[in-house]
Amino acid sequence: MPLLSIKNLSIEFPSRYETDYAVEDVSFDLEAGEILGLVGESGAGKSTIGNGIVQLLSPPGRVSRGEIYLNDNKISDFNEQQILKVRGSRVGFIFQDPMTSLNPLFTVENQMVETILTNLDIDDAGEAKKIAIDLLAQVGIPDPEVRIKQFPHQFSGGMRQRVVIAIALSGEPELLIADEPTTALDVSVQDQILSLIRKLCKERQVGCLLVTHDMGVIANITDRVAVMYRGKLVELGSTRQILTAPVHDYTRSLISAVPRSSVRIDRFPLVEYIETTAKGLKQIDVSTHWLGQSKKHSGGENLLEIENLNLSFITQDAILARNRRYLQATSDVNLQIKQGETFGLVGESGSGKSTIARMVAGLQQPDSGSIRFDGVELIGNPNREAVQQIRLQMQMVFQNPYSSLNGRMKVNDIIAEPIRFHRLTPADQVSGIVGDLLDHVGLGRQMGRRYPHEFSGGQRQRISIARALACRPRLLICDEPTSALDVSVQAQILNLLKDLQDELGLTMLFISHDLPVIRQMCDRVAIMRHGRILETADSEAFFETPQNEYSIELLSLMPRFDRIYENEPAAGP
Amino acid sequence: MKNRFLLITCLLTASLLSVSTVSAKDLRMAYDADPVTLDIHEQLSGGVLQLSHMSFDPLIRWTKDLAFEPRLATSFQRLNATTVRFNLRKGVKFHSGNMMTAEDFKWTFNRLKESPDFKGIFTNFAALNVVDDHTIDLVTTGPYPLVLHTATYIFPLDSKFYTGTDANGNDKAAIVKNGASFASTHLSGTGPFKIVSREQGVKVVFERFADYWDKKSPGNVDRIVFTPIKDEQTRVAALLSGDVDFIAPVSPNDFDQIRASSNSELITMPGTRIITFQLNQERRPEFRDQRVRMAIVHAVNNDAIVQKIMKGFATTAAQMSPPGYLGHNPKLKPRYDLDLAKKLMKDAGYANGFSVTMMAPNNRYVNDDKIAQAVAAMLSKINIKVDLQTMPKAQYWPSFDDRAADIMMIGWHSDTEDSANFYEFLAMTPDKATGMGAYNSGNYSSSFVDEQTMKANMETDTAKRAEMLQAIETKLFQDAAFIPLHWQNLAWAAHKGVNLDPVINALNFPYLGDLVVK
Amino acid sequence: MIQFLIKRVLQAALVMFIISMFCFSIQDSLGDPTREMAAMSMSDAERDNLRERMGLNDSLLVQYGRFVTRALKGDLGTSYFFKEPTLDVILKKLPATLELVIAASFLIITISIPLGVFCAIKPRHWFSRFTMAVSVIGISIPVFLTALGMIFLFSVTLRWMPSFGRGETVQVWGSWSTNFLSWDGFIHIVMPAIALSSIMLPLFIRLVRAEMLEVLSSEYVKFARAKGLSDGPVYLKHALKNTMLPVITVGGVQIGIMVAYTILTESVFQWPGMGFMFLEAVNRSDIPLITAYIMFVGLVFVVVNTLVDLLYGIINPMVDLVGRRQ
Repeated sequence: MPLLSIKNLSIEFPSRYETDYAVEDVSFDLEAGEILGLVGESGAGKSTIGNGIVQLLSPPGRVSRGEIYLNDNKISDFNEQQILKVRGSRVGFIFQDPMTSLNPLFTVENQMVETILTNLDIDDAGEAKKIAIDLLAQVGIPDPEVRIKQFPHQFSGGMRQRVVIAIALSGEPELLIADEPTTALDVSVQDQILSLIRKLCKERQVGCLLVTHDMGVIANITDRVAVMYRGKLVELGSTRQILTAPVHDYTRSLISAVPRSSVRIDRFPLVEYIETTAKGLKQIDVSTHWLGQSKKHSGGENLLEIENLNLSFITQDAILARNRRYLQATSDVNLQIKQGETFGLVGESGSGKSTIARMVAGLQQPDSGSIRFDGVELIGNPNREAVQQIRLQMQMVFQNPYSSLNGRMKVNDIIAEPIRFHRLTPADQVSGIVGDLLDHVGLGRQMGRRYPHEFSGGQRQRISIARALACRPRLLICDEPTSALDVSVQAQILNLLKDLQDELGLTMLFISHDLPVIRQMCDRVAIMRHGRILETADSEAFFETPQNEYSIELLSLMPRFDRIYENEPAAGP
Repeated sequence: MKNRFLLITCLLTASLLSVSTVSAKDLRMAYDADPVTLDIHEQLSGGVLQLSHMSFDPLIRWTKDLAFEPRLATSFQRLNATTVRFNLRKGVKFHSGNMMTAEDFKWTFNRLKESPDFKGIFTNFAALNVVDDHTIDLVTTGPYPLVLHTATYIFPLDSKFYTGTDANGNDKAAIVKNGASFASTHLSGTGPFKIVSREQGVKVVFERFADYWDKKSPGNVDRIVFTPIKDEQTRVAALLSGDVDFIAPVSPNDFDQIRASSNSELITMPGTRIITFQLNQERRPEFRDQRVRMAIVHAVNNDAIVQKIMKGFATTAAQMSPPGYLGHNPKLKPRYDLDLAKKLMKDAGYANGFSVTMMAPNNRYVNDDKIAQAVAAMLSKINIKVDLQTMPKAQYWPSFDDRAADIMMIGWHSDTEDSANFYEFLAMTPDKATGMGAYNSGNYSSSFVDEQTMKANMETDTAKRAEMLQAIETKLFQDAAFIPLHWQNLAWAAHKGVNLDPVINALNFPYLGDLVVK
Repeated sequence: MIQFLIKRVLQAALVMFIISMFCFSIQDSLGDPTREMAAMSMSDAERDNLRERMGLNDSLLVQYGRFVTRALKGDLGTSYFFKEPTLDVILKKLPATLELVIAASFLIITISIPLGVFCAIKPRHWFSRFTMAVSVIGISIPVFLTALGMIFLFSVTLRWMPSFGRGETVQVWGSWSTNFLSWDGFIHIVMPAIALSSIMLPLFIRLVRAEMLEVLSSEYVKFARAKGLSDGPVYLKHALKNTMLPVITVGGVQIGIMVAYTILTESVFQWPGMGFMFLEAVNRSDIPLITAYIMFVGLVFVVVNTLVDLLYGIINPMVDLVGRRQ
């Protein structure tokens, strides 16, 4: 008898015009102590299944067909009262973002005790608190007696996710549904959390449905994998089989799109299964086109030179200077980026890598230090005109393609804005160039008449890139350009960036926390921590023979596609 | 003999009646504002005069038909061209308990001559001489026809009460306009009502003065709670809901509502405040042409304004003096005639008209801004384009002083209830030295008007004086010196048991001491 | 904490300084106060005499210097109409206004929160739709219309309610006399409080509803449900407290603004508070009182903002204003 049995489950979202089937005819079983990965890209319906199991679908979503059994109880037929007794006490939930899944206004104690009192047969708050402290200790929170009195914001992201796990376990559930439990976490923390989930599941013989888009996570923790594509379950099998010998075309293309950390490849294999680029695009010869006619390089090996860059933020203001507290965002950062190379800046969140990008782009003034572009000093240079000209040659692509485009402007206008503003070409040529740009980034010129909200995340990132290219930059600063994107879309965008670099001879400052992506993209790498650069090396050397202790640790924690978790046989069929 | 008997019976019955109704009556009244001060010499304004008639008594007062009625004077007679003798009532007590004597009058007169507001009215008076304790002579600098008019302003103050220094060492008699003084917060008069408590802007409570001299007064109101209610609709609502018994003023917009109610009644009466427009001849050469002024007067349908905008709550005017004033000339009629107006414009060479500016207040006179709009529209019919600006009175008066527009609205009430006052302020040639023509923003100038007014001020023969004043009025009419609109009416409203009619008058100070409430 | 308060005190001083400068610079357009203080027939010479005595003939700079010198000693001038120090006048009128604002705020809070929460929880319920529709109408009806409507219905027609004033108040302390301790006082404050709250109430209902809807779609509410909590604790504990955070920030400021809105309500109900006093001061060109009132209102805004920030800091553990150690 399986712990969880899902039979022919369909979930629909009826709207006034049409009914959207988020999940169609999905069936699978999950055994106690087993971790089943539910993988797929955004919109595949994997989270919907998790929510559907405990009837937490947001309206108007509903289970239209199929049955769900939890230890032989047909919970898909449960009414509101009955399902309340399932949530928390029989099925525990872990959500993606620990920053938002805890209520910021209540202490951890408050939120844990209420869960324990609700789900366990305990009336005494004191006793519940003891259990809570015990749970916190089990999930690896030091000083649980002290920390339980704190508010969520006083915990780091990883610690918070541990609290969330403790809460999920506090009802002593039979089944754990973990919805992207590590996506919002740094790689070092991710590894700890995954190990913790794995350990707890095995110890307590709790079944776990792990929803994720990340193949690395799948490889590291799951026993079996179910691959979802557009609401349908396309493949189900052991983790090894799925990762090494996928049967379904979709699974194959999905896996091929994952950046490998083990070896550098030239281009990602085409992933046309997922998102096809527009057809019939005008091919432009960059060598003769306006786009290719960038300013001449003045010689000199380094395009960008950064020396002793310092910046600190005031974290607690005070009238007296000595009472102020600062956060050193960058300290004594030195780096040189060569003409035409892709320079990777790696580090965990808060390490200061984005701050450097912002200072280079002129969005933030450093406290001290020097930034030279093509030999021209940008910091404190009285010749504002020259600085302005240089800034034009550096363009940025931001992480979030949803907030970095003005929703009230048409795509044409968004891309044309810098050209018009800086009067880069005669006015009558602007629309032609914008069309060519749209063609060149794979969108097609006819898309220019639309507004940003009509596009998907990947398409929007293409728009961002087109906008950056409109200034004919020599340096492209990419700040986590693909972190918000699905893996297949990521592959396309990374391909696009590589192509553009080859054609236009772009230099790139590429910022990412994702080591495999860095490996695929970058020629040289600098690793950052606490505002300092710990190591700068050629990319291949860095990945093969890291020198710094922190680099070694980081690399070892990187979820590796090729290190499939296998220490005990899966309990499944 | 028979008549005398009848009179005695009537008086007896009246006193019996009044005895039977002496049972304590409260009156809750609401005006738009409460008196600014308790010092009746500090400010010459309607509110202060209303207070004067509640807590003080004058030598003589106006009757409803604008004759004089002795109050603290029992009788008066002219001794010669410059002296009038007043015999004072005996046994009159102040609220403080002090007895009123002729000295109090002398003291009061001297204080009035010091008051910035009142000294203007008393310019022609040389002295108030004490003959004996109960006889005084009012002496004027020359022959002066308005001695009795002015005597209505002499409310004796309790000289002993107001003499000395207060707790802060300031003179109790001091008249202080911009700040507190003893007199502005303390009161002792001879009037029917003492002040029990006063919270400025909120409430004044009056109580009948037990030792009031006028035992014959039918008045039976024992206590008055006076509340200012600024908003006219709230004031009416307070009356209709029974929260107050008596309100004033009442806006014409609310007449129907009061008439429709079963428990309240409305009393209106023609007033004496004239509303006019002045045409500035200094700013506009066109207005120096009598034909243009005449055309404008003929173009303004002031009767329509009275009917439509004032809803009948005004009397259409063709001159300044209202009926009952010596200068009122009944032959002068409103003269709206648009065709004639157009012809006059054409004759003057302005058939195509011209553009002018106009200013009017929007919270000073009844419906002032609407009237101005109507006049502006009427002038457009003779091709005079009017750029109208209306503003609150606080901003209007400085603009008026600056003569900031070609046509300006001015309303006037004669402090002396005499025609000459109109001419002095509105029609005589402006003269900084003499202060004449202070509100003649049109700069109309006529030596006839100037001379006749000064002459009339020295003419004590009433018939001759009336002739002179009417001649002035006629001259102003012929010259089209200003645009006459109307005299504002007065309105009060009260619960039906409040017998308001006998105590009100065109001067708008109800004699509440004589008020009978059922 | 102390730093925070010092900052706010400096801010208040700055606000009041700017306001006083502003008031002085527009003094001329506020009208001629002597007009309200003297008879129409008073001669120009006398009028000028009066202006001279009042110091109005001095240059603005001299007048302002005099004002600042006195203000630093705590004297904000003497009201022309009340003939008392303006600060005394304002403090005398303050209780009436404060009580009105308190009563209106009480109405707003007790009505808007339950209604807003209900409308957020059951957005499709007929009552929610009805409430939202009424609140749209409510926003668009001017205060004086609401006030007059109530007066004519409840005072004139039905004669249930008094039409104006504060009625019998009970003296509590100093010049503070309250409406809340006597029946007469209580029924006098009901209609003005309703009228005053009528502007803000629809706004608050919509605000609470919108914030609640947003909170309900948040992860932690979903997580609270996933923990097995039933609707009660989810709505009333997890959602409501978070809803209150923005409501307090916006609401606190709005209640400060309400002090200004009292001008209309107070003049319709002849409520003897600061708002009515200010309106009259403007009509009378009582410049010292106008200046002092606006400065006072500026102070009220700073104080209200400070209180709101403190309250926010108490509710929100992420804000460390009160010196709570992390």
